[in-house]
Amino acid sequence: MAERRFSVTRLPGFNTIALLAFAAIYLPILVIVIYSFNDSNSLASWGGFSWRWYLTAWANEEVQTSTIRSLVVALLAAALSTVAATMAALGTTRRAKFRGQTLIYVAINQPLMVPEIVTAVALLIFFAWIKVATGYQGLAYLVLSHTAFCIPFAYLPIRARLEGMDATLEVAASDLYATHWQTFRRVTLPLLAPGILAGAMLAFVTSLDDVVITQIVKSPGQETLPTYMLAQFRRGITPEINAISTVLLALTIALLIVFFLITRKKD
Amino acid sequence: MKKLMTSVALLLASTALAHAEGVLNLYNWGNYTSPEMLDKFEKETGIKVTVTDFSSNDEALAKVEAGGSGFDMVVPSANFVGIYVEKGLLQELDHSRLKNIGNIAPEWANPEWDPNRAHTIPWQWGVTGTVVNTAVYNGDINTSAIFLDPPEELKGKLNVVPEMNDVISMALKYVGSDQCTEDTEALKKVRDLLVAAKPSWVSMEYSTIDKMVKNEWAATSDWNGSAMRQRLQNPDIRFGFPKEGFPIFMDSVGILKDAPNADNAYLFVDFIMQPENAAMLSNFARYANGIAGSDAFMDADMKTAPELIIPEDVKDKGYFLKVCPPKAQEYYTAIWTELNK
Repeated sequence: MAERRFSVTRLPGFNTIALLAFAAIYLPILVIVIYSFNDSNSLASWGGFSWRWYLTAWANEEVQTSTIRSLVVALLAAALSTVAATMAALGTTRRAKFRGQTLIYVAINQPLMVPEIVTAVALLIFFAWIKVATGYQGLAYLVLSHTAFCIPFAYLPIRARLEGMDATLEVAASDLYATHWQTFRRVTLPLLAPGILAGAMLAFVTSLDDVVITQIVKSPGQETLPTYMLAQFRRGITPEINAISTVLLALTIALLIVFFLITRKKD
Repeated sequence: MKKLMTSVALLLASTALAHAEGVLNLYNWGNYTSPEMLDKFEKETGIKVTVTDFSSNDEALAKVEAGGSGFDMVVPSANFVGIYVEKGLLQELDHSRLKNIGNIAPEWANPEWDPNRAHTIPWQWGVTGTVVNTAVYNGDINTSAIFLDPPEELKGKLNVVPEMNDVISMALKYVGSDQCTEDTEALKKVRDLLVAAKPSWVSMEYSTIDKMVKNEWAATSDWNGSAMRQRLQNPDIRFGFPKEGFPIFMDSVGILKDAPNADNAYLFVDFIMQPENAAMLSNFARYANGIAGSDAFMDADMKTAPELIIPEDVKDKGYFLKVCPPKAQEYYTAIWTELNK
């Protein structure tokens, strides 16, 4: 009987398409990674294995400061957006259905749908007013912009977790005369913790990788690692950029693996 | 860990104010500003320069135009200087505050896009020309014919760097017309010329150095700075300044109208017009600067580089690329599209 059930793997070409898709995604990345170990100055010809570009990047002061700045912005943006996303997720799941619920849902996830360049231009003009009026040029602009577009990335896993949680536990807590706050503190929040952690990590990675908004919003001296890399293109790039990309890639993949481990269903 | 925490704290605190004693914000192309020169400037004046990168002229203009950018100086390309001036974004320079203004080499002192250097000071410049391996071809290389009507020896061993404005404007000069023309006869000639030349091109790629040095190609269109690096690795390689006309690019630094630290900016602009400081810029970016006498302070391999000196007889053949009007731009794109089919 089981063989009669529909399975997409039985459609013709399934394996081929899957392989091609993976090749399209991973081959270019593989090339970047391989050439990061290239001993020559070139991106095109192989000059033997070497760690020299990793050492060059490690010793590059601009790479150091922009990396620290990227991490600071990502940490702050992840923290702020996760708090906002957690409240938003609770507000859209732990209450009676209300009019306009779908609208709110769309509004929260707006950054996923609006093209990034549109947001960037809007922020550029908006922040320009504030900069002229106050003279403040600090990191807050970047942190707030990143927070805004990281919210949906934090929101989705938290909401998924809330919807998957057994609601009877909260009901039971109320039945046992727990206050609303106690129920939240002792029941909802601990159960939700893995979702919050997963959301925070996704937000962190999203902030770390951002180019367009950062490039447009950054104030003098606020280079992040991706904008530093972008600016190297005109003068010709060396495998140092491959080395930095590879490290950034490794960090992103490591965080995504942890994210996967946290969110996967326990068997 | 402590060091990291200190850096984080410093980071949050330090960028809060754009205006303060002894700071200056330069908005420039990435990897284009010599850190040694900035150190020297700080030692001499006590002013700390912060460099922020941009990756295109359009992006830089958009940020400056929005206002409140906090930058003091910007380094646009020649074809963008006029746009900055027209929009009122650059200060008119008070030459009496620039005691080194006379150091600008005569050929760069009065460019058409910034008459009398009223708004900008030269940063770096370069030209597009021909690069030929003279072991393969030893005829005249000071002509665009190298890639527009290639000699037998070079056919099938020739690359063209796919910069549309360079290639089409050089072809227009070659047929006796001028850039941004709307003369359809001349444009037809250019199209036929390019379409006929293309079968002789083996590729249209940007990264030229490796393949020229390793003799995979025998010639290419290219920037002079790139040609110099090729010659240093392969002595048979020579750079040609096409006598029909060759595009010049020049990036120049100007002081913004809303510069929070304009006084410091004046000091900086004057500083980079001292030959030894201009030479530091060139030694780092590997392009020529527009300051007379700076070659004496350049690295040995650059000091005598023939690629960086425009020969007397073709000095008037260089031209700055303009932003063409929409109609001409349309013709350019149509020819380019046909060429890349």
